[in-house]
Amino acid sequence: MNLVQNFPFLSIILTLSGGVVCSVLKGSNARKYCYFVLTSVLVGSLLTMAYVLSTGESYVYMMGHFPAPWGNEIRVGVLETIMASLFSGIMLLSLMGGMHHIFEDTEDTKSNLYFTLVSLLSASLLALVYTNDLFTGYVFVEINTIASCALVMIRYRSGKALVATVRYLFMSLLGSGLFLIGITILYDITGHLLMENIAQSVSVLFQTGTYAFPLSVVVVLFSMGLAIKSACFPFHTWLPGAHGNATVSSSSILSGLVLKGYIFLLIKIFYRVIGMNIIFHERATNVLFIFGVFAMIIGSIKAIQEKDLKRMLAYSSVAQIGYIFLGIGLGTEAGIAAACLHIIVHAITKPMLFTACGGFMDVSGGSKKFSDIQGAGLRDKLSGIAFIVGAMSMIGIPFFAGFISKVYLTTAAIEYSSIKTVVALAALAISTLLNACYYIPAMLVLFTHPKTEKVHTHPRSKEMSLSLYIFIGLNFLMGCFSQPIVNAVIQGIAMFR
Amino acid sequence: MNYLMMIAIAFPIIWGACLPLLHYKEADRSSRNKYALTGTLITSALVLLNVFTFKSNAGFQLIQLTDKMSIVFDVDALSCVFLCLIAILWPLAVLYAWEYMHHEGKENKFFSFYLMTYGIVIGLACSANLITFYLLYECLTFATIPLVMHAMNRRAIKAGRKYFMYSIAGAATAFVGIMFLVNYGTSLDFIYGGTLDLVKIGSQQNLILFGYILTFFGFGVKAAVFPFHGWLPSAGVAPTPVTALLHAVAVVKAGVFAIMRVTYYSFGAAFLSGTWAQSIVLSFACFTIVFGSVCAWKQQHLKKRFAYSTISNLSYILLGVGMMNAQGLCAGLAHMLIHGIMKICLFFCVGVVMEKTHREYVPEIEGMGRVMPITFGCFTIGSLSLSGIPLFAGFISKAALGTAAVSSGLPLGLAGLCALLISAVLTAAYTFEIVIKAFFPSKGFNTRHLREFKDPSWQMKTPLIVLSVLMILIGLHGTELMNLLSKIAMNLM
Amino acid sequence: MLGLITGLIVFPMITGVLCLLPVFQDDRRRNLFTASVLGLNFIFVLLCFAQEGSFDLLHLSDHLSLRFMFDGAGRFFLLLAGLMFLMVGIYSFEYMTHEHNRPRFYVFYLLTLGALNGVCLAGNYMTLYCFFELMSLLSMPLVLHSQTEESISAAKKYLLYSVFGASLGLGGFFLFTVYGGSTNFVTGGVIANELHQLQLSSELLFQRNMLLIGAFLAIVGFGAKAGMMPLHAWLPTAHPVAPACASAVLSGVITKAGVLAIMRVVYFLYGSSFLCSTWVQYAWLMLILITVLVGSTLAYKEKILKKRLAYSSVSQVSYILFGLAGLNTWSLTGALLHAAAHSMIKDVLFMGAGSIIMHGHTERADKIDGLGLKMPVTFACITVASLGLIGIPPLFGYISKWYLCTGSLIAHHNFFGWLGPVVLLISALLTAGYLFTLTINGYLKKEETESDAHEAGFLMLAPMLILCTLILICGLFPNLVTQLIEFVNTLA
Repeated sequence: MNLVQNFPFLSIILTLSGGVVCSVLKGSNARKYCYFVLTSVLVGSLLTMAYVLSTGESYVYMMGHFPAPWGNEIRVGVLETIMASLFSGIMLLSLMGGMHHIFEDTEDTKSNLYFTLVSLLSASLLALVYTNDLFTGYVFVEINTIASCALVMIRYRSGKALVATVRYLFMSLLGSGLFLIGITILYDITGHLLMENIAQSVSVLFQTGTYAFPLSVVVVLFSMGLAIKSACFPFHTWLPGAHGNATVSSSSILSGLVLKGYIFLLIKIFYRVIGMNIIFHERATNVLFIFGVFAMIIGSIKAIQEKDLKRMLAYSSVAQIGYIFLGIGLGTEAGIAAACLHIIVHAITKPMLFTACGGFMDVSGGSKKFSDIQGAGLRDKLSGIAFIVGAMSMIGIPFFAGFISKVYLTTAAIEYSSIKTVVALAALAISTLLNACYYIPAMLVLFTHPKTEKVHTHPRSKEMSLSLYIFIGLNFLMGCFSQPIVNAVIQGIAMFR
Repeated sequence: MNYLMMIAIAFPIIWGACLPLLHYKEADRSSRNKYALTGTLITSALVLLNVFTFKSNAGFQLIQLTDKMSIVFDVDALSCVFLCLIAILWPLAVLYAWEYMHHEGKENKFFSFYLMTYGIVIGLACSANLITFYLLYECLTFATIPLVMHAMNRRAIKAGRKYFMYSIAGAATAFVGIMFLVNYGTSLDFIYGGTLDLVKIGSQQNLILFGYILTFFGFGVKAAVFPFHGWLPSAGVAPTPVTALLHAVAVVKAGVFAIMRVTYYSFGAAFLSGTWAQSIVLSFACFTIVFGSVCAWKQQHLKKRFAYSTISNLSYILLGVGMMNAQGLCAGLAHMLIHGIMKICLFFCVGVVMEKTHREYVPEIEGMGRVMPITFGCFTIGSLSLSGIPLFAGFISKAALGTAAVSSGLPLGLAGLCALLISAVLTAAYTFEIVIKAFFPSKGFNTRHLREFKDPSWQMKTPLIVLSVLMILIGLHGTELMNLLSKIAMNLM
Repeated sequence: MLGLITGLIVFPMITGVLCLLPVFQDDRRRNLFTASVLGLNFIFVLLCFAQEGSFDLLHLSDHLSLRFMFDGAGRFFLLLAGLMFLMVGIYSFEYMTHEHNRPRFYVFYLLTLGALNGVCLAGNYMTLYCFFELMSLLSMPLVLHSQTEESISAAKKYLLYSVFGASLGLGGFFLFTVYGGSTNFVTGGVIANELHQLQLSSELLFQRNMLLIGAFLAIVGFGAKAGMMPLHAWLPTAHPVAPACASAVLSGVITKAGVLAIMRVVYFLYGSSFLCSTWVQYAWLMLILITVLVGSTLAYKEKILKKRLAYSSVSQVSYILFGLAGLNTWSLTGALLHAAAHSMIKDVLFMGAGSIIMHGHTERADKIDGLGLKMPVTFACITVASLGLIGIPPLFGYISKWYLCTGSLIAHHNFFGWLGPVVLLISALLTAGYLFTLTINGYLKKEETESDAHEAGFLMLAPMLILCTLILICGLFPNLVTQLIEFVNTLA
């Protein structure tokens, strides 16, 4: 057993304990500790990734010594480590980008709790990524829910945030509830909680044809439950409020990471628990495909109508989640690969956009309405450039990250060669145009001179500049040198079963 | 490694981007104008040097994006044609803009984007594969939007928005078509004859043809094919140097150039010839030819009239390209070059009238031929050329197109011939109406209130005269040009 | 060779542009200059009667070149054009004194002559098309000379019809280049013999059909200039508004350019044997006969003098086309004879109408009562011309009508054979109707109101008299003209 192999487990433990530790530290110390935790997790994940790439196969790690059929396991492969590195890295950058807003938006005595929540969220995301059994999965799904809702609510001066949190909580718990019922039924018919064991059991059941109806119900429950939690159309209504009204780094983390954690869990369940052939049989992928297409179009249309920058970005997230579900809905490995690529791309881009938005708010008297942020791009040039880079990426211009995932999505769609191809291509084309329709006017507003002088509430901190620079760099890296990452993702999916 | 070409692309972009940094005051016209013109002339010199010294396959790879996609620039024979056109016309346009922009204002922003667009168009011409081309195509849209919206009044912003939405939609559709090539082609490079993997396509020919049609209409937005032509007349609200150079020469010719590349160098004419895709291309081209001419004839606003004329003439080129053989490509190339020269001359004349007299409509220019003889003289030469009167340049390309259309043997070729002839008559109608009105005002017309108008200064006159002379020269000595284009079209260069 | 081409085409054009110079603003000086140019042109034409051969001037592109040629047909029309332009030119010196902007008129007058000479000298389709277009463009300012609103719109209509017609001709050119071969004019046509037969393989049949369509397009297109239906409508609109000398030249000479163009296409490119008994010939004959009848009828009903003469031209030029469409020697002889006759006669009629307008102060045919007594010479010339046009011996017109009818009866073995002469006869009666009324009203009726009409001056009367004498002489000694058109024997 290599030392490196312990890192995933250790990172989960570290972040969990970090949550506990941060709750007793003062605000600024908590911040430092949180940075430390996240950086260590990032480094650890990267090392693990290097290890797994070199060995070329995934390994299973038992946490605790509970025997089958219960027990806690995590499984570490290339794709999981990529996601883990991504999540911890982006979380770090988002924190850096929105740091002073955190301190502004929370009560002074409670600001350390923010870092607690971030650590807990980090723990649950890692767990979702690595988990190999349903029990762990459910536990950390719940922790995730509570942590993310609290992240929204912690903005104490905003009544809108409170309302949004309640809505988010309702929808999320509904999703978790459906998920739990699904687990229960599955446990009932298979008698296992570990994913591999369940998979064997399920395939036997499918062949013999017993419990066919419960099996369908299970698929539906899992899909719907996780779809609600990841804001897939038509369950997205909680998202604009939650992401639009939270503090800057919360919006970044929620948009960029939390939603993806659930989607990743869904992919994992499809592949490892139930098996893709059954999923096809139940036509779950078709349903997700249609939801994805609708999300792409309607999310963008709603974004065009928005007058508030953060809400516009939130609707844009709805549309981008639609892209991911489109990829999953194609049902091929190429589709899943494209979806994973888009997870990575969106995780790099959307937090950058939210951080830039935070910068604009700083130079416009704290407001995020379009009427107030006119010319903000000229006043805060780094945020302006970051916004342009992010927007170009979302529209899908070559050289930027978004182009790569768009290319892979289109290629996956064409490979499939059926009616889905035509729908997918049409949706991609229309969606590109719609994306341009709200990002370009936003950019124009940001870069035209305002008529009145604006108030600067806060000079830009070094942390934020650093995070923006790294984000921009990552974007170009993904846009220009994506081939190694793509190869790694494809290798990871092959290992994923 | 063709560094010269990369310098030719990068130099105007950097030069133009640096213009605002030099902080020329609004009133400091002369130095700023000289700066802009120097930059343009240097770039043109570099480009022409490139054209005359290029070796094939000396491409320059900027970056490898993924396994299949990379950004590569290279100069080949087809690029040279486009490059020569813009290298000659851009300095003329900048010279013209000196005096014209004097009354429009905000010249810093204008010349900055104007120069950057030059670099982007050069890059477009030198793209060696579809991804590079697509990248620069998108950049072209973004660089030209500020030029269209220059006046920043409501009409300009609306026109800019329309232009950008059409362009992005077109590019998105073309992108989908490009992806077909990624899947079913051996590479994305521009190679004469196409890069489709016929083995892989097998019996899915219709799917690939569908992809081609998507690409055709996607790039066809910039080439103003009906029904995606709507942005062009609205863009007439831009200052004349923009309309003339960009929307008669650079942007729209980038659109037809894209279609040429996609048809002959990516999908391959042999694959497309005789298919339903060719029929669609030819039908839309024929329809647009007549439609554009009819709209131009009915239109009374000077610039919009010639915008519709451009729409019609672009489809002449597409008619030639749609023949899917070397003769058609040759004819299309000829018209691309010659129409660029004609249309820019006509727009410049119209611009002079609009700027000097502030009159925008055809009935208002009565009798102006007397007081602005050089302007309207050049306009007459442009009209003669556009109508296809022999001894002027336009006849050469029209004859080539007509011959190519008939000798293709396709029934749509004959339809194309009819469209060309109908369009020729309408062109004569809508151009000579202006000539007659200008030179032969009706009886009792009092020229007294025209007395304060006169011909423009040398900056605006010189391009007009140069272009007119060019049209006459090409009209009389077209042989060498046509032979050259014929060889290029058959890939013998 | 090059020198003569220069002399005939470039010389009038350059001198035309020179008329813009300030030194020629003075009427007398300019008139003298123009007269000498026209005279020199006529002399050049006579000089070139000894020339023969063809000559490539300029290559516009691979298969487009400017080619000139001297042959019998070209010389005939050159002579006709030169003579008429000279006569009408002299007439115009006095007529134009009542119009303004005179220098401009002569600029375009001479330019048109140059372009017209170019049409006559054209050696291939492209050169013909080139100079045809130039001629249309350059003669348009003659129509709108008075710059009233009606004349400007009439000029635009003229231009549109001409350009449209030329476009159709261009369409025919493209079809011929692809399916026929070289477009150099060669006596008897250039189409391969194998295409003349009727039983052909499908590929050759397609080629033949394309060629026939091209021929028809060219005939209808160039026929627009010759006033053939359905593209004749510009004639009655343009003639009333143009100055009388411009109308004379338009009707008398420029329509013959259309005739020459059709002749070149039919006899020198396609060849009469290719088109004989095809749908093209029959459709063409139908169009012609309708034009003849409708033209004469409308002339009969028309009260405005110049418009009446315009409709008369529409009808008469179709006589010429009728001869061309006969595709045999007799018809062709009749056609060319009528071309000469009609030129001279119509010019006299228009000149007479011009002097009625200028000195009789009226434009309408029903207001010329009694003017004949005040303007005896004018009306005498009009009478002579009318007699000629109706076809009464011994004036020029009857010979051509004789040849036309004979040719029609000989050549056609179906109903066109007798239909043609019948239509010509009816038309002759109508012609008598609309022309004799002029004479009768002029001489025999009493004037309604006293007017200050008086006879025209010498410069206007001399050309009319000269032409009337020529009409008489050619009528008495038709051999003079038939000698000039001996080349028709080689054509059909």
